[in-house]
Amino acid sequence: MTAYQAGIAKFEEAGAVVVGISTDNLPTLSHWSKEELKLSFPLASDFSKRSVAEAYGVLNKDSGVANRATFVIDADGKIQHIEEGSVAVDPTGAVTACARVKKQ
Amino acid sequence: MRFLATLAALAVTAGTLAAQPAPPPKTHLKVGDAAPEVSLRTTAGATFKLSEQRGKTVVLAFFPAAFTGG
Repeated sequence: MTAYQAGIAKFEEAGAVVVGISTDNLPTLSHWSKEELKLSFPLASDFSKRSVAEAYGVLNKDSGVANRATFVIDADGKIQHIEEGSVAVDPTGAVTACARVKKQ
Repeated sequence: MRFLATLAALAVTAGTLAAQPAPPPKTHLKVGDAAPEVSLRTTAGATFKLSEQRGKTVVLAFFPAAFTGG
């Protein structure tokens, strides 16, 4: 999430809302977000049922955690861009997709 | 002898394959699909609902766990 925080201005410029999602519980996410990373965007907890990670097809069934993946969703609720795995650490692709979506 | 050597090689290969961890999940979603609803509590103290964000571009960044890089 550090890289997303570093790029947050670019997301805001493109008019995009950023939300990080993991299967951690909320107190863990709060501590990490506020005390360690000082994130300016929210982290959402998919702890109780893992239903969102499951719905997006990114839940690792063995470990119960989400695979790293980024989805860019447009103003109509349609998916415009998907990145999975280690490439999703770098927000550059998602920023580019947001800028493209804004122009449409 | 040659047969046995081949058999041994196959056994080693099978062992290596079996030791591999399960591959990471691949999403079934595609560009153009309707994004599944998200309704989760967040560190901002509210519930984030994707359906309430219509009109805005939304970036959902899934990550494995807190205190990991990226």
